[in-house]
Amino acid sequence: MARFAARRLLGMVLVLFAISVIVFLIFNVIPNSDPAQRMAGKNATPQLVAGITEEWGFDEPLPVQYLTTMKLIFTGQLISYSSQLNVDEQIWKGMPATFSLCIGAAVIWMFFGILFGYLSAVRAGKLTDRALTILALVGISMPVFWLASILLYYLTFKASLFPSGGYVPLTENPLDWAYHLILPWITLAVLFVGFYSRVLRSNMLDVMDEDYVRTARAKGLDERQVRVRHVLRNSLIPIITLFGLDFGAVVGGGAIITESIFNLGGVGQYAADAIANLDLPPIMAVTMFGAFFIVLFNALVDIAYAYLDPRIRLGESSQ
Amino acid sequence: MTGRSPWGIAYRRLRSNRVALAALGLFVAIVIFVLAAPLWANEVAHTGPNATHTVEKIGVDGERRDVVSPDGTPIGPVWLGAGGKFFLGADGRLGRDEMVRLMYGGRTSLFIGVSAALLTTLLAVVFGLLAGYYRGWPDAVISRVMDIIWAFPVILLGIALGTALAVGGLQIGPISISSGSIWIPILIIGFVYTPYMARPIRGEVLALREKEFVEAAISQGAGPLRVMFGELLPNLWSTIIVFFTLNIANNMLLESALSFLGAGVQPPASSWGTMVSSGYGLIYSAPLLTIIPGLMILLTVLALNVFGDGLRDALDPKSKVRLEAHAGTFEPEEELI
Amino acid sequence: MLAAGATLGLAACGSSGKEGGTLKGNYASFPDYLDPQLSYTAEGWTAMYNTYIPLLTYAHANGDAGGEVIPGLAESLPRISDDGKTYELTLHKGLKYSDGTPVKASDFESTVERLFKLNSPGTFYYAGIVGAEQFQKTKSGDISGIETDDASGEITIHLTEPSGTFTNELALPFVALVPADTPAKSQSADPPPATGPYAIVSSDPGRGWSYARNPQWAKSNSELMPDLPSGHIDKIEITVVKNQSTQVNDIEQGKSNWMFSPPPTDRYAEVKSKYEGTQFRIEPTLNTYYFWMNTKKAPFDDLKVRQAINYAVDPAALERIYAGQIDGAQQILPPGMPGYEKFTPYPHDMAKAKQMIAEADPSDRDITVWTESLNPHDDAGAYYQDLLEKLGFNAKLKTVGADNYFTVIGNLSTPDIDTGWGNWFVDYPNPATFFGPTMTGASIAPTGNTNLSQLSVPSLDRRVDELAKQQLGTKQADEYATLDKDYMQQAPWAPFGVRTLSTFVSSNIDLDKVIWSPIFSNDLTSFQFK
Repeated sequence: MARFAARRLLGMVLVLFAISVIVFLIFNVIPNSDPAQRMAGKNATPQLVAGITEEWGFDEPLPVQYLTTMKLIFTGQLISYSSQLNVDEQIWKGMPATFSLCIGAAVIWMFFGILFGYLSAVRAGKLTDRALTILALVGISMPVFWLASILLYYLTFKASLFPSGGYVPLTENPLDWAYHLILPWITLAVLFVGFYSRVLRSNMLDVMDEDYVRTARAKGLDERQVRVRHVLRNSLIPIITLFGLDFGAVVGGGAIITESIFNLGGVGQYAADAIANLDLPPIMAVTMFGAFFIVLFNALVDIAYAYLDPRIRLGESSQ
Repeated sequence: MTGRSPWGIAYRRLRSNRVALAALGLFVAIVIFVLAAPLWANEVAHTGPNATHTVEKIGVDGERRDVVSPDGTPIGPVWLGAGGKFFLGADGRLGRDEMVRLMYGGRTSLFIGVSAALLTTLLAVVFGLLAGYYRGWPDAVISRVMDIIWAFPVILLGIALGTALAVGGLQIGPISISSGSIWIPILIIGFVYTPYMARPIRGEVLALREKEFVEAAISQGAGPLRVMFGELLPNLWSTIIVFFTLNIANNMLLESALSFLGAGVQPPASSWGTMVSSGYGLIYSAPLLTIIPGLMILLTVLALNVFGDGLRDALDPKSKVRLEAHAGTFEPEEELI
Repeated sequence: MLAAGATLGLAACGSSGKEGGTLKGNYASFPDYLDPQLSYTAEGWTAMYNTYIPLLTYAHANGDAGGEVIPGLAESLPRISDDGKTYELTLHKGLKYSDGTPVKASDFESTVERLFKLNSPGTFYYAGIVGAEQFQKTKSGDISGIETDDASGEITIHLTEPSGTFTNELALPFVALVPADTPAKSQSADPPPATGPYAIVSSDPGRGWSYARNPQWAKSNSELMPDLPSGHIDKIEITVVKNQSTQVNDIEQGKSNWMFSPPPTDRYAEVKSKYEGTQFRIEPTLNTYYFWMNTKKAPFDDLKVRQAINYAVDPAALERIYAGQIDGAQQILPPGMPGYEKFTPYPHDMAKAKQMIAEADPSDRDITVWTESLNPHDDAGAYYQDLLEKLGFNAKLKTVGADNYFTVIGNLSTPDIDTGWGNWFVDYPNPATFFGPTMTGASIAPTGNTNLSQLSVPSLDRRVDELAKQQLGTKQADEYATLDKDYMQQAPWAPFGVRTLSTFVSSNIDLDKVIWSPIFSNDLTSFQFK
């Protein structure tokens, strides 16, 4: 197990390294877009451009620039081109909003995903199932930014039911915090509710045919107990796996559109702004941040899975 | 196709799934709608998708009206009031015909969705076959590359590439793609979704590789290419078709998101995503400009998803290809090789 | 006693408005910097106008009067030597920063040095000080052209060349004094102590910042600088709210009192019709929006083609594209600029434009049109591209992100820089800042080029150079007016309008008293609750 975890960790580091190199290269090959020239403004003199180039080390070879950037990220000293603010600090400041959004949305999508999936499976083929299936497919097919725009326009600007964006810290006012986050939560959760209910439904239908479920029924357990204790419980394992991956992906950049439209000022919005400004230091740091969460949750899922399923551990030692 | 073959069985199963057939019908209708774009533009609206009519007036039911009012509000839907011109009104302050742009934009969106899905399928099949057939180090290398793409925040990567390439285009060896070309979003989307399809295909190849018919082919002296494309590939078709369909739907969603963020289709060309994006800037004065193109995306993606579901049920009744596979099946053995 | 006080208060309310209160304002984005030496945006300058005072400053007034340079921390306007190269100023005695440290004459030198150490975009204006270029290279020693005496408060500045604009430049925030020990790195998160009436007391970059009255203002600084208003409001809180529609709603609902940006184009007409005159006012700005044409490349090397484009571009169409937020114009200088005389050299005439193109019959008709991705500039670019198509060109549109646009088109090695959208904003009302950087051959640079048309007409260049050395007066203004006409004869640009901005305040703010400075936009000291 320890060896497995160690290998997984090494894999994570390699993936993060590769990603950082790719991002760095993408933004360094943009033609005629010297960052020193951009920072020097509209009245740039050659002397000023030279000064900025030297100050920021833009004349160094790319590998050196890359190493410097990475060193600064990990020592917490990286500053952005456009505002000269500490990048790590800005990411820390954005984290409460990002995590509030993602955790809240995750609770919603797990709850409704499981509820709808369960109802759909136990009423398979009936009207409830069909209605929920259509709802789920609509949810999966909805462009997130479109849903957000429509909700924002009709529910906040027209009906004034919700505040139109912004983030209130939980510590400041828990009610206001939730009130400001309701629409973003819904927006982000819709896709996953649809998706999870579909997955759970098909898993449950499969499990219902398994021998041990039939045995349980034969033993005279009532149908509800069978469904909840045996069917639902066993069908949830793949859902939890999926959840690990999706939660990592959402924290790691999947919430960028929702954050931007609702102006939550989280890490995702910081990333979107940085990309619009071609501000490489925050782009590097935020991509690393996002990829870290994706890779971390991938690894956690793997490890949890290996722990739960002894076959995999055996598989490891045999190879 | 004979009634007894697995394809024939699948066909009959699909034929009895009325919801899936309706979805297919809807999708075909949408395709016809966007293919009719030049017809509508030339014969009915008499304007191109990028032609501006900012200061022009049109006669609507005998009344002269500004296409764009002096304060910048575009004309709303006039239906057939102007003989088919500005059926859905103007697209914004440039006074372009929204209906014409919607039809041409749909072409772009669908073209990107299908082309990127073809690219993804090609890459995924090749990588999946190579990794699953050779196992060992080719598998390790391919899986690692897929891991890297997988761990990239998709939207971040998409915007980053889109923004970076918007200035200078792309130059890979002899191939040169100018900035603003729709091949840039196609390449980005096709590339980022490759692991989502390559992983399950590889898994299936790994399983098929152990089957007797493969061993038999190898013992009869069949070369690797022969085995991969002659023996393994035919057994993958049902998976590929299902994934391909669902992949088009996902691609269209990603394209619209990238275009919404300004990193997809570049102006003056339109796609449904860019139309929602520019419409959103006018949501107070003309909410339909946001709603209509978004609905088109929703309907198309929904049709593809429902039909894809039906296809899966028909081709693969034991649901080998699970829904979760389409978001990324977790495959533990991969880490252990 | 209490009753009397209340009555007095009411009386004051009726005549001159209320004193005190907290002003809540919204910005759509955090300023580039809350650091006077670094900030080079309208956002930053509005935010710091009443916090960081230079030796000279601009009068707190609307319109042309607001372009006048008045003494700031200095006792009077500079004494300029006959050769125009030496400026002498004297610092007021007894000035203090908001943290209580005395303001010293030597702080001016350290401030200018800080500007250079920070590699600020503002260094451009002060590179003409003797020794400044050397200091810019080495970042050590001192700038020999600045002499200061802390005891007498005297400051002497030597320039390498006479300049007609240096007085204007001494009044810009770039050289607003900060204590000598202010670190040479961005202070946005912890802005330096103030010399003006409002001190920035907290700053959370990306989210907002707030002001309180500078305690030293009432004690000492105000008396010494009586021309600078003290402001009516006690506290100002600025929040960054990205969605400008939300900002409009907040003002309508009284949740905020002021927004820095104009209402979004989508709601501009609505706000204007509902609130113009009571809470909303359209404000002039010093800029010109135009399409530039590369005079060095076919087909725009042909004067006739350029003039044809000028006839084809319809300012009325662009007024609609900008939702009424530009005023159509066809000349280089905007209203409010000395030397502005309205003229319409190329009244819109599509037939004439087509005929001229037919006569010129350019052989190269493949054109790349450049524009910025921000709305409505992207629409303006799409309009222009479509217009060129209508004129028989084969035009391709290239859209570049806002932050990168001018860097890309200002780099002469960028392929296909044929024509495109552009705008030119100036920092202070002196026409020299218009023609010098955008029209003269000397200003063509391989990177960071601002002469986008790459125009070079030596006879006109000489006139610009000559005028730039002279102090601006009526004679000079007249010559600039002629230059405007002469340059438009060359048609390097097809100008289409002047951007207008606006003041939009909540119903409890006295709109009539709110000042719009041509340089700093809304003047925070002029806000007053009714």
